[in-house]
Amino acid sequence: MRVLKILMVFLLSVTLCFTFGVSSSMAADSVKVGIVLPLTGAQAKFGEVEKLSFDLALEEINAAGGINGKKLELLIEDDTGRPDVGRSVVEKLITKDKVVLIGGGYSSSVTYAVAGVCQQNAMPFLVNTGSADKITTSGWDWIYRLNPPVSHYADAVESLLVQVIKPKTVAILYENSLFGTKGASSFEKTCKRLGIKVLLKQGYEHGGIDYKPVLTQIKRHNPDIIYMVSYIMDASLLMKQSREMKLTPKMFVGGAAGFTLPEFVDNAGKASDKVISATLWHQVLPFPGAMDYYNKFVAKYNRPTEYHGAEAYAACYVIADVLKRTKSFKNTDIKKALSETDMMTVFGPVKFITWGKMKNQNKAATYVVQWIDGKLEMVWPEESKTKTFNYPVDWLKVWGY
Amino acid sequence: MDVLIQTLVAGVLIGGIYCLIGIGMSLIMGVMGIINLAHGQLMMVAMYITFVLSSYMHVDPYFSLIVAMPALFLLGCFLQKYLLNPLMKVDSILPENQVLMTVGIGMVIAEICRFIFTSDYKTVKTSYGGEAFFIGNISFNVPMCIAFIFAVVITLILFWFLAKTDTGRSIRATAQDKEAATLMGVNSTRITIITFGLGSALVASAGSLLIPIFYLFPDIGGPFTLKAFVICILGGLGSTAGAIFGGLTLGLAESLGATYIGMGYKEMVGFVIFIIALVFLPGGLVGIKRLIKS
Repeated sequence: MRVLKILMVFLLSVTLCFTFGVSSSMAADSVKVGIVLPLTGAQAKFGEVEKLSFDLALEEINAAGGINGKKLELLIEDDTGRPDVGRSVVEKLITKDKVVLIGGGYSSSVTYAVAGVCQQNAMPFLVNTGSADKITTSGWDWIYRLNPPVSHYADAVESLLVQVIKPKTVAILYENSLFGTKGASSFEKTCKRLGIKVLLKQGYEHGGIDYKPVLTQIKRHNPDIIYMVSYIMDASLLMKQSREMKLTPKMFVGGAAGFTLPEFVDNAGKASDKVISATLWHQVLPFPGAMDYYNKFVAKYNRPTEYHGAEAYAACYVIADVLKRTKSFKNTDIKKALSETDMMTVFGPVKFITWGKMKNQNKAATYVVQWIDGKLEMVWPEESKTKTFNYPVDWLKVWGY
Repeated sequence: MDVLIQTLVAGVLIGGIYCLIGIGMSLIMGVMGIINLAHGQLMMVAMYITFVLSSYMHVDPYFSLIVAMPALFLLGCFLQKYLLNPLMKVDSILPENQVLMTVGIGMVIAEICRFIFTSDYKTVKTSYGGEAFFIGNISFNVPMCIAFIFAVVITLILFWFLAKTDTGRSIRATAQDKEAATLMGVNSTRITIITFGLGSALVASAGSLLIPIFYLFPDIGGPFTLKAFVICILGGLGSTAGAIFGGLTLGLAESLGATYIGMGYKEMVGFVIFIIALVFLPGGLVGIKRLIKS
């Protein structure tokens, strides 16, 4: 028993020394950037696509000479999908790892918390996915955002609704954290503007099992379209259960996020067919390197990618560009370099300007995609489409009844 | 009217699964007097076993009940024998503090599963996965109906076991009064081990039945432990019949709350009922029965 105790103490001290040893052996001539992503927890799937995209971009950047000869190093930390954890990992990145820039930011609630910490510490933060408007409408000048805000996600959907579908009524379902709530309220405002009556607007707790009660209510109201803002598993369950209930509006419209991931068609199967969604990117867009990025990703990781991955990949290139142009690695110089960004990426043109109520916000367009035969096809705007928009849809036939 | 019936149907069907989750915890609470806070994580282990069998050996989830239940029974026995029982022998540790050990067990199990399977969402796809049949306008989800039938069958078997077999009667005796049972010749240590195993097996069945409907990830256990706790309190601690009442009540309450108050408040309805039960009916269903008798 005594021997066992001594052995345990020895092993623990060895482990401790090991961890200290490893952390102090970082190369002195590399530039460190912290990336905050959900690697575990409920949003791990999204975090994974973004992490793999960051890795892919990092390899290419360092192979091409890095940051003026220095190696670019990404310290990717796990926020587990919780704002309090996000706050503590970014504090660690700033104070302990002494990074020069923070990137990443997937879920809006976590991104907002992390942005608050960065603003307080005068640390530049390049957000690539967190979309709640208030991340760039709070007047925080150290926060820069590559992706469009959630209030603009449905811009392309809007023109599709007005020109093709022409619905009179809508039911809005949304997951009740920051992302869903903001996405739903901006779509509600859009509907008011377009003269579409909102019959029902309900939030649900993300991670639910049974949506039949609310779907039954929607069925009773019989709206022309159903607009859903959901993360991945909820999106699959909602469509599966809509199919089980034979709920047939004119169209199911997803507000990006869960509706564009390959996991959506994997899990929802037949129930995902002909569903449309807003999206921020598609590999056929005429941005240099977009299709290349898609093909490289598929070849390396054996799975498809979509707009979240493109955001991360583009963000990494923007970070590299900023660090190459900056006069020094002081935070004020990096901030200046960020403000002067004007480049083309696989995600589209990137320039951080002040527009609407937003500061340091890139102006990016949005598009509409539709799941046709298990593939995500671009259907709107007309000029960029890969397949014609399937409409009207005989849902019962599509669902195999 | 349709909306109401659909809501009631959804509530009863999910209530069946909730019953299974609650009965396991109720048994453990009755016999050992501890709240098993690793209950949800044990269910998760069963779900992963079902997932592995389904993905690699193409075993239907309902057949993997035959594997998952005994496996979790053995795991439960192991946990009780080597981790929880030794705590009881140490005088300075209050029996109630075994609860803390279950918290630790739960965390270790969850992290081990995350290590092996990563945090990815896993699903088990079955041919009848999204199927539903219609009676009139009311849609019945096929996997949930099958799960409900299984839940009823398993509960009936459990009651027969508790009422008619020696081991079952010994469990009930130990739950009523541990010292008296020991005086009567019941090996209470062995009974605690068997009870924990039995409770784990029951929650394992709930997991296997749930996986065709829902999805699986390492953190799934937490919310279900909470639900099991609410069900046990609603039914009265230690009462298996009460757990059935508790499960159905919670299922119906959540369903009605989701339809008529709002889906975002679904969980809240459950907890409000929980607080009402604690304040006005601290004994749960068993308490009401006693009140009526006296």
